[in-house]
Amino acid sequence: MTATDSSHLEPDMHDSEAVATQHASAVRDGMESPAPTTESAQPTAAVPTAKEAVPDPSPGGPEDKPRATRVAEGAWLGGVCTGLARHLGWPLMVIRIAFVALATFQFIGVIAYGALWLLMPPESTVKAPGLESASRAGFRGQNKPKRRIDWGMLLALVALGVGLLWIMQNTGLGISSQLFWPVAFACAGAALVWRQADSEQQKRWRAEAGGKAWLAPFVARGGWPALVRVIVGLGLVGAAFGIVIAQQGQISHLPEVMAMTMLALAGLAIVLAPWLHRSRSALNQARAEKVRADARADMAAHLHDSVLQTLAMIQRQADDPKAVQKLARRQERELRNWLYGDELHEATLKAALTAAAAEVEDERGVPVELVTVGDCDTSEEIQALVRATREAMVNAAKHSGADKIDGYAEVDEDSIEVFIRDRGQGFDVDAVAEDRMGVKGSIIDRMARHGGTATIRSGPSDGTEVRLEIKR
Amino acid sequence: MTQTPDQQSAEGTAAERRPYSVVIVDDHAMFRTGVKAEIGRSVALVGEAADADRAIAVILQSQPDVVLLDVHLPGGGGVEVIRKVHEKSPEQKFLALSVSDAAEDVIGVIRAGARGYVTKSISGSELIDAIRRVAEGDAVFSPRLAGFVLDAFSGSIDLATVDEDLDRLSQREREVLRLIARGYAYKEVAKELFISIKTVETHVSSVLRKLQLSNRHQLTRWATDRRLV
Repeated sequence: MTATDSSHLEPDMHDSEAVATQHASAVRDGMESPAPTTESAQPTAAVPTAKEAVPDPSPGGPEDKPRATRVAEGAWLGGVCTGLARHLGWPLMVIRIAFVALATFQFIGVIAYGALWLLMPPESTVKAPGLESASRAGFRGQNKPKRRIDWGMLLALVALGVGLLWIMQNTGLGISSQLFWPVAFACAGAALVWRQADSEQQKRWRAEAGGKAWLAPFVARGGWPALVRVIVGLGLVGAAFGIVIAQQGQISHLPEVMAMTMLALAGLAIVLAPWLHRSRSALNQARAEKVRADARADMAAHLHDSVLQTLAMIQRQADDPKAVQKLARRQERELRNWLYGDELHEATLKAALTAAAAEVEDERGVPVELVTVGDCDTSEEIQALVRATREAMVNAAKHSGADKIDGYAEVDEDSIEVFIRDRGQGFDVDAVAEDRMGVKGSIIDRMARHGGTATIRSGPSDGTEVRLEIKR
Repeated sequence: MTQTPDQQSAEGTAAERRPYSVVIVDDHAMFRTGVKAEIGRSVALVGEAADADRAIAVILQSQPDVVLLDVHLPGGGGVEVIRKVHEKSPEQKFLALSVSDAAEDVIGVIRAGARGYVTKSISGSELIDAIRRVAEGDAVFSPRLAGFVLDAFSGSIDLATVDEDLDRLSQREREVLRLIARGYAYKEVAKELFISIKTVETHVSSVLRKLQLSNRHQLTRWATDRRLV
């Protein structure tokens, strides 16, 4: 806010700055006693603080690249490529082709893929607590996106892999065929079994297998495909050993037995490794969940406090419908935002508008319905736009007598438009614009100063609509 | 759908005709009682239910004009109810009601087949008006839903991969939706664009159809992306 701006202000003007400085006293005057006011301020502050206390599942600011996680959506195998593509910002197909090509070089691709599969944590999808709990209780149904596999692509990739392999083997660059088939079989088998142990369905499995996650693929009801996958996987691993043993067959009996034992142990290790790893990470996860549960319990306590406070205040002010509505509205907004709200980053237009609307609601006791389409970061111009919007909302709340204000903001590629509308009594724009500085100074001139426009449409019976536009 | 201008006409028609029959599905008994008290005089309440299974049975048995359906419901949510009922009775009309403003829930229930979405803070007269619209076969878009739809259909849809007819909003449809998002009632939208209310209703119904039929993958991705931003 500039000094010139506030020097325009007349005493009874309702510019945002003036309101802001008078805020504390204004609110207090509006209420019957100062004591509940301070009480009511407490829960307001408490809820956001509690929200910050939750361990953020995805470290790194909003500007960071997404962490490398396995992404279930759109995945063909383990989601490794999809996750890498998102992390590196490369086209997905490039990474998939790279893995297929690498796989034909001494199985490097396969090994790398397996290692990444183990190392990359699955994508965590933590939502607002209300949504999480509704999902857990089965109130929302399974609206997981169905997996869509592009069969054409898959076929092309497989063809590419097989072709490359064939060339490698035929030019003699590849692995000796003595090793090749056993390793290929073992890889395929291990992949099938590991796929099974992937964490996507772990939770359900763990419940069904009585907490023994490593038993889960064998015990839990994965349906026929799961069972077939495990059997075929184990069969392939077995076949790999068989081939090796058959190849070693000519040598004397002792090494054969030794080799068989070693191979059996190795096979067992390969098959069990994923589950050992999983059960360890399950332990870690359980610890993390405990921390989270504690944080949630704290938040629930805060929440109950704030709701209880509001209810107590409503009872004390039961004879003042305006105050009761204001309290209920604020509590509703707080709860709704906490339970279902998007996490708003501070420095965006949407967050700023939402905050402005909430302020006006609290100060004036008139509900503001705000809808936004698109979003962008704030700049000096956009802050001016937000201030003008706030002023328009304050005017509507103060002068129109409407019981609701509608706000709409749309962010385009090259411009931002905001509409503030009420259905109360309108006014004569031409007559008022000259002498009411609230409209002229804080809306029209302010927009003009920042390269935007403000148009006001008002009629005695249609209410008022303020349209603000600014170029991005 | 907001407020006074349409109110008189709503009450006028409701008085002339037989009241529309309504089933309320919500797991909060207090909310059901509240809604009954508010709209009980203007519509015929023929049943209520608190979970998905019970709801499906009640709806199929009583065949109401409109079902007021909570989005979050024990037993799989409102989406499940719509799906199961539509298997047996594809013409059944649903109006979704929710405290959750989560875009994916709202879009999800509309895509499952609900003909409209309103928040639970809606006033009694607005709710009656919305029920009438849905009963008459129109769609009910609250400003918030209109905002979500504009968001879903703007830019984020990859045009090369989708059926263009279904996955784009016409210029007129966008204009109508923008006005609804700005808080205009259908009547006011009509006046603003110099078209009839019937035409506004046609546009909104067409948007609803596109929302329900367009490429599933793209819209789901929009919902997912939105969470990641």
